[in-house]
Amino acid sequence: MLHSPCSKNWLPSYSVSENRQIFSLKQVVSSIRKTIEERYQTAYWVKAEMHKLNLYPSGHAFPELVQKENDKIVAQINASIWNHNFQRINKQFIEVVKEPLKEGTTLLLQVKVVFHETFGLSLQILDIDPNYALGELQREREETLKKLQAEHLINANQQIEFPLLPQRVAIISGDTSKGLSDFMKVLNNNPWGYQFFTMLFQAYLQGDVAAPSIIEQLNRIEKVKHHFDVVVIVRGGGGEVGLSCYNNYELCKAIASFSLPVLTGIGHSTNMTVAELVAFRNAITPTELADFLLQTFHEFAVPINDARKVLRSSSARIFDFTKQVFNAETKHFKNSATNYLLEAKNGLVVESQKFKNEAKAQLSKNRDKVNSAQNESRIFSSQIIKHQQEKVEEITLLFPTKINNRLEKEQLRVLEMVNMVRLMDPKNVLKRGYSITTLNGQTIQKNNQVKIGDTIQTVTFDFEISSTIIKTEEHGN
Amino acid sequence: MAIEINYTEAFEELQQIVRDMEDGEITVDELAVKVKRAAELIKVCKNKLTSTEEDVNVILKELEA
Repeated sequence: MLHSPCSKNWLPSYSVSENRQIFSLKQVVSSIRKTIEERYQTAYWVKAEMHKLNLYPSGHAFPELVQKENDKIVAQINASIWNHNFQRINKQFIEVVKEPLKEGTTLLLQVKVVFHETFGLSLQILDIDPNYALGELQREREETLKKLQAEHLINANQQIEFPLLPQRVAIISGDTSKGLSDFMKVLNNNPWGYQFFTMLFQAYLQGDVAAPSIIEQLNRIEKVKHHFDVVVIVRGGGGEVGLSCYNNYELCKAIASFSLPVLTGIGHSTNMTVAELVAFRNAITPTELADFLLQTFHEFAVPINDARKVLRSSSARIFDFTKQVFNAETKHFKNSATNYLLEAKNGLVVESQKFKNEAKAQLSKNRDKVNSAQNESRIFSSQIIKHQQEKVEEITLLFPTKINNRLEKEQLRVLEMVNMVRLMDPKNVLKRGYSITTLNGQTIQKNNQVKIGDTIQTVTFDFEISSTIIKTEEHGN
Repeated sequence: MAIEINYTEAFEELQQIVRDMEDGEITVDELAVKVKRAAELIKVCKNKLTSTEEDVNVILKELEA
């Protein structure tokens, strides 16, 4: 039993001669150790978060174990894992959990309480249950999924319209990653001459540092996203260890809500991580991812090559079709025209026959009319003639008396005229004492003038006298 | 190339012409024009497959900005 060295009679003036028991420090800590060893003889299974691993080059690790409640540390103790234990535990972990021991995870630890004279109290870790860790990781994965689901982000990236040509590729990878070189080899050595633009955004691809590192690069790409069509995260050659970071909520959220399609090719064969699940597309390997990009180029190129063929064949078909239509139309037109002409001709014949008949009918009708008119006129004219004849006869009957009257009148007038003529006979004039003088048988006038010496004849009622002109004198009239 | 057209538009326009031709919706009158246009579009698309215009230095500058 150990008593407090200063339990009683503590005096300002100190005397060694006083009867009190004094222990050395070693005695004390040895006593503590002994007590603890007696009290904690067996090992215990303890659930704790490994806050810090503190692995030393010696191969020993001195983790800090904590228990948190509402993010507040409510218990804390140092621990130790000796080199040989650490190797064994880590190997087990990688086999079962596909993860090395890592900080910040809750583990089920088999510990022994130890007290060391110089290092003090600690928990010596004998074993860590990898299945519990696996369950923890599983839980983290599920929690991430649940959160993203609640935020409707699970399919967010997949709903982005994929570019027709994913030609400009932002690559998140490590520059020494085998996955990256596989990926680039497929893209650059494609035999079709497809050209890609790639730019590497370097990040850690596994372990605890991966999530913040990838998120940082996604943020950088976001700044220059108009230069890119897609983002790829490629990893390979790192084995299947250290991939639990791809279940990290922050990283998965960053991928799901990224504004460009994010394609993953992180190369492993175990359960798909949440990051791969929410990515626009996941390929098992970087090579497969590169093949997918080439395939989308094909999908663009093939219709273009087909378009040439279609253009050629369709052009020929359109020409043929148009020719056929034209020929058919021509034929149709010819038939129609022939039919039309024939119909017109027939119509004309019918019409002319009709016309002929009509004309005939009209003619005969008119002839009848003329005939009847002729008859009528014959009757009428004979009547007129008869009438005229009768008139003539009538006149003829009247004629003799009228003529006789007229003759008598005319006879009287003739008698009168005979008397008048008789009175004017030159003989009668001569009888009344007048004479007629002539020269060469013609009466003497201006155009038959007498000259002195001419012999003129003078006729009286009883005598014919010849006279010679001795003198002429012209009257004034 | 006289026409400024991005490859998505070029591709879609080309597909439309091909569809129209296959459906017989192009007349002989339009044919020459359409075929010429299609040839241009094919050229645009083909060029796009085998060339890129991005410049890493430009992007780096933007990242630093």
